[in-house]
Amino acid sequence: MKRVALDKVAPGQILAEKLTRHDGVLLANQGTEVTEGLLRMLSRQNIDTVMIEEADGRSPEEVLGDYQRFLDELEGRFVRAKNQSVLLALKKTMIFLAEKERDETLALLSPPEPDPNLHPVDSPKV
Amino acid sequence: MATPVIQDRVQAKKEVRRIKNLPTVPGIVAKISRMVENPETSAAEVGRLIAQDQVLSAKVLRMANSAFFGMSRKISSISQALVILGFDVVKGLVLTSSVFDMIQKSMAGLWEHSIGCAAAAGAVATVLGRDDAEEILVAGLLHDLGKVVLALNLPDEMAVVRKKIASGPILFYEAENELLDFDHCDLGEWLAEHWNLPESLAEPMRLHHRPEKAVLRPERVAIVHIADIIIRAKGFGNAGDLLVPPISMAAWEALKLRKTDFLPILEILEPKLASLCDLTSIH
Repeated sequence: MKRVALDKVAPGQILAEKLTRHDGVLLANQGTEVTEGLLRMLSRQNIDTVMIEEADGRSPEEVLGDYQRFLDELEGRFVRAKNQSVLLALKKTMIFLAEKERDETLALLSPPEPDPNLHPVDSPKV
Repeated sequence: MATPVIQDRVQAKKEVRRIKNLPTVPGIVAKISRMVENPETSAAEVGRLIAQDQVLSAKVLRMANSAFFGMSRKISSISQALVILGFDVVKGLVLTSSVFDMIQKSMAGLWEHSIGCAAAAGAVATVLGRDDAEEILVAGLLHDLGKVVLALNLPDEMAVVRKKIASGPILFYEAENELLDFDHCDLGEWLAEHWNLPESLAEPMRLHHRPEKAVLRPERVAIVHIADIIIRAKGFGNAGDLLVPPISMAAWEALKLRKTDFLPILEILEPKLASLCDLTSIH
């Protein structure tokens, strides 16, 4: 994900953070697809920048390699924390989130399934 | 070794007092403290005092507007920051901005560890539904100031600690206690005394590795302790060793945290860390 100035955000991009107003009222959830209307509303609420999901230019092999490196480094950092169940729960949660990020990145990399309703096959209408 | 390493606590404490180039607490922080003690002082008056130093106020505003506090509206003046964040938080930010260069000079990665710990402390406080998240965050920012003293003022002692850490999976404070009979928590305490810092900041500096000993604000110290563990687990910054230290179960239980709370804590923390990268050079 990356932080982007609101006027550089394009419809169709995915929000990588939950946006709230200064008084805590929810404006948009994480994972929301940006629309023109949402951009206008955020601008009215004086939101300057938002976090956007991005395909980061890594190949699937690199994504998997990075995930493996994350696991190895995590193991090294937790070498003194083997016997405390609370710390093991922290480690498990971190692995869960890393797996989620890995799978979401891989999904962004693979071309989406064609939607037959949006892109009708060029066939003569009967 | 040319200079004998100081191993004795009493001698070390004297040494800290004797250090000539130990930066004095910025005059402006002392002035704000005095002003705040006077019930007649208005936020606007304190704002004017801080605003006199333009470089300092720019740094303070940059931190106030960072992902730390998650403000959706821009804080554009010091007096506005005082109203929204409160005297104590702005005072903490003034102090942090004043020692920023020192922290950066002392150890590579310590500033990143400090802002990461602050962000993690804010995330834990938020998940616990506390209304003092900003104060806890400032305590997180300053918790490792003792390491700055060790690195800048006791370089021979720092060198033996580093050598020990390079030899195996040993934590910074374990190496300090084994070799020196004092650690960065003691140094932080002595520095806080020397600088006349409030106990609410001194206590987490002294006790973040022994949170069960805290008396004044045990829950805030416990949160800084757990934030330190979380940010080390993330591998964000470098606190001198790259290990996750044991958790104080007393602190964990006192906060009534559950293992399932790690998920929302980390989900709040991740985007903040991504945004905080631009605080790594607040000049």
